[in-house]
Order: sequence, then structure tokens, then C-alpha cells
Amino acid sequence: MTLDRRELLRKTACGFGGLALGGMFADSAAAANPLAPAASHVPPKARRIIFVFLAGGPSQGDLFAPKAYITSKHGQAIKSPVGDDGQLRVGVARFLPMAPVKPVRPRGQSGMMMSDLLPNLSGVADELCLLEAMVADNKAHAPAALQLHTGHIAEARPSMGSWLSYGLGTENQNMPGFITIHPPRDGRTYGAGFLPAIHQGTPLRVPRQDGELAISNLRDPEIKSELQRRRLDFLQRINRRLLNRVKTDLQMEGIIESFELAFRMQAETPGLIDLTRETKRTLEMYGIGGGASDANGRACLMARRLSEAGVRFVQVTIDGWDHHGNIRNALPGSCAKADQPIAGLIRDLKRRGLLEDTLLMVSGEFGRTYWSQDLTGTNPIEKHGREHQQESFCTLLAGGGIKAGLVYGETDDFGYRPVQGQVHLHDLHATILHLLGIDHERLTYPHHGRDYRLTDVYGQVVHDILS
Amino acid sequence: MVVTLCAMSLPSLAQKKENTSRGNPAARAFFKETVRPILERHCYRCHSHQAKKAKGGLVLDSRSGWAKGGQSGPALVPGKPGKSLLLSAVRYQDLEMPPKGKLPDKLVRQLERWVAEGAYDPRVTKTADREKGINIEAGRRHWAFQPLEQMAPPDVKNTRWPQTDLDRYILARLETSGLRPVPDADRYTWLRRVSFDLTGLPPTVAQVREFASDGASRARERVVDRLLDSRAFGERWARHWLDLVGYADQIGTSNSVFAQHAWRYRDYVINAFNNDKPFNEFIREQIAGDLIAADRKDVRQRAASLTATGFLVLGDIEIVESDKAKLLVDIVDQQLNKVGKAFLGMTLECARCHDHKFDPIPQRDYYAMAGFFHGTSTVFKTERGVWSDVNVIELPETKTQQTDRARRQKQHAEKLAGWKSERKQAGDRRAQLDKLLGNKDLSKTERDKLTKERNDRSGRVGQLNKLILHAEFFAPGVPRIHGVRDVEDPTAMRITIRGDPRALGDRVPRGFLRVASAGQPEIPAKQSGRRQLADWVAGNPLATRVAVNRIWQKLFGEGLVRSVDYFGLPGDRPSHPGLLDHLAGRFIREGWSQKKFIRSLVLSRTYGLDSRHDDRAHAVDPDNRLRWRMNRSRLDAEALRDAMIMVTGQLKPSTGGPAMPLEFPENVGGLDPKDVNPPNFRFSKWRPEQEFERTIYLPVIRHGPQPGPAMLRNVFDFAEPSQLTGKRPVTAVPTQALFLMNSPVVKKHAVALARRMGKENNESKRLGLLWLTLLNRPITETEQREAVGFLRETDENAWAELCHALLASNEFLMRM
Repeated sequence: MTLDRRELLRKTACGFGGLALGGMFADSAAAANPLAPAASHVPPKARRIIFVFLAGGPSQGDLFAPKAYITSKHGQAIKSPVGDDGQLRVGVARFLPMAPVKPVRPRGQSGMMMSDLLPNLSGVADELCLLEAMVADNKAHAPAALQLHTGHIAEARPSMGSWLSYGLGTENQNMPGFITIHPPRDGRTYGAGFLPAIHQGTPLRVPRQDGELAISNLRDPEIKSELQRRRLDFLQRINRRLLNRVKTDLQMEGIIESFELAFRMQAETPGLIDLTRETKRTLEMYGIGGGASDANGRACLMARRLSEAGVRFVQVTIDGWDHHGNIRNALPGSCAKADQPIAGLIRDLKRRGLLEDTLLMVSGEFGRTYWSQDLTGTNPIEKHGREHQQESFCTLLAGGGIKAGLVYGETDDFGYRPVQGQVHLHDLHATILHLLGIDHERLTYPHHGRDYRLTDVYGQVVHDILS
Repeated sequence: MVVTLCAMSLPSLAQKKENTSRGNPAARAFFKETVRPILERHCYRCHSHQAKKAKGGLVLDSRSGWAKGGQSGPALVPGKPGKSLLLSAVRYQDLEMPPKGKLPDKLVRQLERWVAEGAYDPRVTKTADREKGINIEAGRRHWAFQPLEQMAPPDVKNTRWPQTDLDRYILARLETSGLRPVPDADRYTWLRRVSFDLTGLPPTVAQVREFASDGASRARERVVDRLLDSRAFGERWARHWLDLVGYADQIGTSNSVFAQHAWRYRDYVINAFNNDKPFNEFIREQIAGDLIAADRKDVRQRAASLTATGFLVLGDIEIVESDKAKLLVDIVDQQLNKVGKAFLGMTLECARCHDHKFDPIPQRDYYAMAGFFHGTSTVFKTERGVWSDVNVIELPETKTQQTDRARRQKQHAEKLAGWKSERKQAGDRRAQLDKLLGNKDLSKTERDKLTKERNDRSGRVGQLNKLILHAEFFAPGVPRIHGVRDVEDPTAMRITIRGDPRALGDRVPRGFLRVASAGQPEIPAKQSGRRQLADWVAGNPLATRVAVNRIWQKLFGEGLVRSVDYFGLPGDRPSHPGLLDHLAGRFIREGWSQKKFIRSLVLSRTYGLDSRHDDRAHAVDPDNRLRWRMNRSRLDAEALRDAMIMVTGQLKPSTGGPAMPLEFPENVGGLDPKDVNPPNFRFSKWRPEQEFERTIYLPVIRHGPQPGPAMLRNVFDFAEPSQLTGKRPVTAVPTQALFLMNSPVVKKHAVALARRMGKENNESKRLGLLWLTLLNRPITETEQREAVGFLRETDENAWAELCHALLASNEFLMRM
């Protein structure tokens, strides 16, 4: 007796997510496939998302939102703007306002402010929406980054890519729905939490040299393909015989099919991620060519290729923004590595008509203070850095469903507390889901006796920034 | 269950969230920014669930609160300001609210506008009418809170089938459903199954042969006793327990801070299983070992008891939290959550901000229980930046340990003295050379020679500085653990509104979950009361049921209650309630001995069933809830890695000890006390034997990929240390297949296995040996023929290829 196929599919679609992988390349099984594209709650404005994570906390005061008051008081001790008790809980002993390290000017038609350190991004300012009063809940990197990715500061909840893969499936039936390029060290940022494991992010490295694998164990460079196929055939033959003997076993069936898929991924992924197929002009647009922006340029181009191929959620992590000391010296380098790749990505998406239904988000886990920080206690202000600030920071959005050229939200004269247009990370998550056609209050998963969601019990869609 | 899950996921999302009026953005903003603050500031004191007593029975902290209203009826009618009591009251028309003084006109007008515009209010019932709604008496009727019921095992028709009482319970239910159990598993299958279940390792070829030819009636008992007596038993079962603890060798979630002494807790758990520590004692020690220790005369017992409190400490604590008040309430929450989940199968943390939504657990009960941990110290603030660290507590030593330590300290002091004197010499010589180099008349050859020596000396000084810093940090000392102690003056805890440590409500006297207890504790002055809590948990039938069900699940694949971590109202109900209570009763009668209990389960006929399919039974009971056959399961990460190492003949026994190879200076950073960040680890060097030790002895990382030899955990559903996992998920994803096909580790094992088999020259015998080693059964003729065919047509590394295929095969990956 063979397996009851319908029953198998019925069960696998819901329980052990991975078990339905057989369906990943079988169109007939789409209805039962956890990765199959699913219907939306609200009309979607975007079909896919690319998230560029600027890890470390980029300084919004230097890059996007200078404050006249701060600039006017550069280097003079001021009274703490903070809190009813007049104290910051972490940070600096004295509040020394520090002017932007390079001029920040209005750009494009919208007049969005951007630093001279971001010449390429300045050129696409009119495509962007700048959220100036973002708020997160924690001042340390790990919890804040976790909250940005999952909504929660400590628990291993599913990350937003996993929620989207769970909610919407993938459009490319041979690739995972969530790929994270050069992922953060903290695996929880791309973990599926309690969602079926099939929805977890697949880490991908852009190979720096021939023979390096983009995905762990993607192939065995030492073995000839036909030899491996012969081994696999032998393996699958004994697997099927065992399955026939026991007649029904969802796990065994799932494993058998995962091997076939793995074999296909091993064959097809290299083509998909092969950047040599791109024109010279495209490579240049991303700043690929051996310079400072090369690595991130490749990552961003890879993101476009994967996104174009139907991967629902692609993340690129660009780190190097944690400027506690000598930001004057360090920030230009960080910008040089990121500016052209991100601007190139926007231009490329636009050129290909993909920007219309791709949501692009660029954000750190928090921002930095407008006053300086001096870890040594003895340095002149020219060598100071800035401390973390989750009370307010900046996030960039672009693409499907977003009002281009809009600056939304405002903070006080210290660049510390939002005075209007505050957007909490939960609100950002709600808005992202909304743009992709999901009501954040309705995308739930039962776990430990209750229905969980990305926004937990919070979150409001920020309608003002929607086009 | 699987189907339910499906129904609740995406396709039917629409059913949720119909009852909340959505409101337009303006109405939402108006409510959030204007209306709610008025209500909060001027009304909540008397009219909310945080209020001591809702005056007039009216609460205004939820939509349903005002809709239902109090003694005077609904407080307002949306869209009808004229009919809204709330408005006439704030206008001081009949009732005068707030009583202390009339609201400014502006606020009154804002409330009027709100009501006139439809009274948008998204606040769903939180604690609202539930405070009154929770009926603890009714809650006690839930099966899990009932006393254990002991009845005679049921009668069965087929009296020849059962071998134990357990079997009678199983068979009776099958018979009432018109089903029969499948035949018994063959001896090979049974041996492989029981070996993996009890020790996490496959049987050796010799053990397979011996058992296959042992016709004695006690043959199975002999096997089970051998397995229970092996060190491997504790190594297997300790890991199950660690899944419930969130154990890791790391503390905090960033900066790679090591939990230097965590391994002692891991070894404590292994020893607890191997010494068959009574489970009620195991519970008590982990909740209150520090308080119990005082009564213990034996030094080792005292040490073990202190070590056990690692249970409360080793978890996902955010030690870099700058808000220390929040850190403390979060730790309390985590400890309570852990005790609730691991021992009681309850989600107590749900009642932190409001009454439990599904279970009869009022918020007050949460704080009554939380009070035990409020009086407990777990972390301390370090000298470095915003960092905290977990408590480090010294253990008492035996005489032998003391002597041994004195010896090691002496050696260490000598080594250190040697390095320091060498450093001084090198430093002196460097100073001398600097002086010589100051002489301008030196020839180039001389200068070069001196410069080289100067640099060599300088390099050596730097090297010695690092060595000395490392050696002083890790100097041999009294054994230490991470654990808890009572705070100076323990008090009850105050309700924190929405978990905010600064928004405090009533102080709630320490006490037990009312729904699961009859009385409340007497807590001696100046104590946290954890000892009373420990006794209450250990003696609670709920805890016994949870424990027994967990053991059952590890042996049978699914629990009698399938939601092993959740015994609450919406949780699963036991498939065999009588059996669950029967087992719990026996567990207690047999002195809470886990070994005796496990022994009795695996020697049952039910455990010995084959895992084969049966059309009829499958049609009636596709999920095998009635246990007409044995469930199959894929090996977990530990069993899979350990089995691979074992079949290649390379498994190295271990007796425990530090998991992290911190003895190599290159693996440690941040030792300088002037550093802002705490000491941290990186893995640049491993002990050579770690590649071949059992997985439980390898370091566990709290977040991020598991390192080095432990990497297989990343691929095969290891329990995420930040989650408490009674039952691990089992997935089949292509990353696993890629790992089995392409990873250098599996390939290396295949080569080693082929080499090991190579000692047998005869091809046919060699194949037989391979099957016995890997699959623990004789090879069939068909398999023999196919394998020979495969070997013939494979020209390169044919045996390694064959071994590789088998290592990736379902039969090897599964315990059947």
C-alpha cells in the first residue's frame, strides 16, 4: 500500500512545516504547501520586502536629521534634556552637544536632509520616506536588534521574515521564503521561533572567492555529481523500501523529499546567485569593483536577484555603525561602504519596475545621541563618539505603498524625544504587514495556549506614510 | 491536533478580531492621546481593575467595562451624550465625579466629543469582568488539579496479552474501541529502541549478538538494568531536563559572556539521574537547594544541593539591561515561568499583567507566587559599565578536594612566579637594551642585533602579560557555582502594572496558586519562602502528573497528555486518565525513583509493540492516541551525533567538567578589569577530545549558531536555550539533507566507519557487520545483493560511499 497522499498533504501542511517540502516543487500540491502563496487580508501594495539592516545604531543626527539647537551649542555643556528625574540611565556624564561631523543639506525636490557622506543616497532622496521619530524599547544592541527583527526584546519569537513566509509563502517554489545575507550573529534575528522551521531564514554569504559556499553545505566540492547522485539513488531506494514496509510515516516521507529538494537546490542556487551574469553597468551602480563598497554592493545586488526570483523576504546586514568613539573619523568609512550599494539597489529596483511592488526598508536597531560620548574621559570633542539612543532614531522606507519624498515625525530640540509622528517598532511592523496585505492583528499562531502575533498586543498601522 | 493547528492558521484568519470597532486614525489618535489619559488620571483610581475595589462595580479600563457599567447601569451610550451617565456625572449633574473636584471644562468637553463621535475604544477586556469572572472553586474541578485517583486496573477480555498493569489500561481502551494492538517488535528493533531511549546510544555489535541469542526469560530485564546502570543513562536523560531549564554555558544574550560555572549544574543533573535521586528531592533542591543545604551534614550533598539552584539562574537573562529595576522583575518573571512550566505545566507568566485568559489564575496569584523570587537574589551589578552578572557562590569542599586544591594552587603559584620573574628579567633586559640603543655610535650590525633582541624581549613581555592575566583570572580556587540566595530582608511583591517596575500596585502576600492548593504557607520571618514553595510543588499532584507524563513522552513519543508543558484548561486532556493517575501513584509509592519508573515502562508489552501500520486501527485512530502501536521518531541532535561517533568506534567517555575550553588564553578576552565589557569567550581552539565526546558535554551557546563539534545541533532541531522545551519540534528541512549529503563531518564519519569495517576481509561478512553496527540488525539478502551492486559500480571510495549513504538513511536516522 502506498501512502494516502491526500492525507499526507493535509497533515503536513499544518503540522511539521518542513514535512510538506515535497510540495515545494509539486504544483499540484500547492494547496497543502506551507510555502505556497496565500491570500491576503487587505489589498497588498508590495509583494516582497528587502530589509537593509544597519547594525550598530547609525547616527541620525549626522546622517539625516540635524538639530539647530544642538549645532548652536556644539561643545558647550548643557543641562540634561532627559527624564523627570533629570538623569539618563546609561550614557554620558556631561551633555556636550555635538554638531554633525559633515554638512547635512536638503536634497531633491522634497528637501529631505542628508549628509554629504551619503552622496548616492542623496541622489535618490525623492524615492524615500524618512521616519524621524522611530522608537525602540532597549538601549543594548542584542535586545534592540532582536526587537527590530521579532518585536520582542528577549524571547526567541519568530522574526518578521518568518512571519511573512508563514503568512504569504514564497513565490519561488524552489527557494526558501526568507533569506538573510550576512546575517547578524544572533540567530534569533532570523529564527522561526515557534513557527514551523521551514519559515526560518536561510543564511547566505556572498562568496568572496571561488569554491566558497553561499549556503552551508550547499555542495561537496570534492565529489563528482554523478557519484553523489548514485549514492543518493541508493539511499533513496533503501529509504523507499523501508517506507513501503512501514506503509505510513510522514517524517520518513518528509526526509525523502527533503533530499530531492536539497539536490535541486544544490544544482540551481549557484546560477541564481551568480553575479557574473550582471552587466558591468549594473555592477558599477552598486559600487562593485573592489573598493570599500564592494562587499555590500554584492550583498545588495544578490538581494535584488533573490527578490526578483520570488524570495519573499530578503535581508542584508551591513554592520559597522556603533560609533562610541571618534565618530568624525569612523563614520565616513561606514558610509562609504553602504551609500552606493543601497542607492544602487534603489535605482536598480526602480529601473526594473520592481520598486513599485517591493518594499525597501533601511534601519538600525536604534540611533545615537545628539550629544557626545567620550569613553576615555580626556579626549577633545573632535575625538568623541555618540552613545546609543532608542528614544528616537531614523528609519528609511521606499517602494510599494510608501509616500515617496515624505519626512514623517519630529523630535524635540535635543533630538531626543518624539514630539509628533512617533512610530514605535511595533507600529513599523504593523505597517510592513499591512503593505504586504496582512492585518497584523489577524496573522496569528497558537503557541503555549495562546495566539501569538508579530506585534504582540501592540502596533498601529501608520496610515500617514502610505501612498 | 495537527488539523486544529491548520484550522487556526492562515486560511481562517478572518475569524479573529471581529468585535473590536476599528475606528478611523483620527478617532484612534483622539482616544489614545486625549480620552484615555483623562480616564487614567481621573477615574482609574476607583474605577479600574487595579483599584482595590471597583467603586459602584464600575470599571473604565476597558470598553466592556463601561458598556456593562456598574450598579447604575451602562456608563455611556456611544453617540448619545444625553443618555450617558458618565457625562452627567462629570458635569456634576446628579452623581458628582470625580468626587475630589470637578474636571476642568476642557476635559469635560473632550469626553463629550468622544461619546458623541461614537466612543471609539479599542481596549478589549483585559482584567475586566474576569477578576470577578475567575471562579477558583470551579477551576479546581479541572482534571489536572484534582487529587490523584487510584483505582484497580480495568478488566480486559484478552487476559493473555497484558504483562503489566499499564498494559491492562492500554488494552482495555483498545478493546472498547474494537481495536487490537499490533504484534510485538522483533528483538533487534526492541534492543535498538530501548538503547536509544535509555542512553541515547545504539547497542554495540556484541550487545546485539548477545541479546539475539539470549533466550532467558529475564533477557530483557538484564538489558534494561545494564542500560540504567550505565553512565550513558544520566547523560541522555539530563539533556531532556536541560531542555526545560534553558541551560547554556553563556549568560546574557550579547557580548559572548561565559557562565563559567554552569557546567556544575549540568553535572549535577547527570548525577541526579545516575544516582536515582528521588524526583521530589530533585524538585526541592532546584527551587530551594540553598536553604536545604543548611540541614545537610554530608559535604557532597550540601554542595549538590547548592548547585541545584542553577535551575533558577541559568536562563535567558538580559544582564546588560540598564534598567536594573526592570531586570529584577524580569528575572522574577522568568523564574516563576520556569517553575510553572517545568514542574507544574502552567503558563503563569500570562498572569503577570492581567488575570490569566484561560486558566483560573488571577493576577494576584502570580504576584503571590512571584513573591518567593522577589525575596531571592540572582544577579548583582558588576563594576563594568551597565553590566550585571549572575551570582557566584562557593561550594563546601571535602578533605580530598581541599588537599587537591592546595596542591593545584601551589603548582599554580609556582608557575605564576616563574612567569613573573621571567617577565621582570625580560623587562629589565629591554630597559638595558633601550639604554644601549641610545648610544649613537653603534655600528649598523650591532644596532640591528640589539634592536632584534629588544623586540624579542618586548614581545615576550607582552606574551607573558597575557598569560599572567589569564592565569590569575582562572587561578585554582574553591569550587563555585551559579546559584541563588535569599536577599537580606525578603518581602512580598507588589503588583507591577503591565510589568512596569515603577508602576506599582498592591503588595500581595506570598502564597500558592489557589486553584491548585488547599492552604497557604506559613513563611518564617526573614526568609524568601522558597523552601515552602519547594515542598508545595514537590507534593502537588499536578507536578507528579506533569513529571510522569514527561517520562512517558520521552519513551513513547507522545505524552498521555500531548501538551507536555501545558496542563491548563485549553491544554490537551489525557488519553488515559486512569493510567496517568495510576502511574503517578506508583511513582510516589516507589519513592519517586525515576529508574524504577522507567524500568517498569520499558518492560511493558505496550512499549515492546512494533511500530508497523495497521489499516483498521489507522482508520479509527490515525494519531495512535490509543497506543495500538509504537510511535517512531527521528533521532534528536544529540543522539544522532553521538551515534555517528559511536558507530565509527571513536566515542570518548567523559566524566564531565567544564564545557568551555577557557583554559586556552586565546579563547578568552576582556579579562582586564579596566575593560568596559565583561570577560568573554571565542572559540579558536578546542580540546582534541571534544570532537569525540558526547554532545551533552559540549558548550551550549545562548544565541547564534552552536560552535565547532556541536554544530550538528544547529541543523537537527536542538532546543533553543531561550525557550523551555518539553518536546522538541521535529522538522525535515533541506538544510538537514544538505548537511547529511555534503558536510565534511558526515563524510569524515563515513570514511572512519569504512576503515573500521575494513578489519573484516570477507566482503559478505563485512556487509553483515556494517548492518549490525549501524542498523543493529542482520542484513537481508536483497540488501546484500544491492549493496554488492553498489560497491561494484562505484569506482572511488566505494565503501566510504556506502557508509555515507547508510549514515544518511532513514533507518539510521529513526528510532523505530
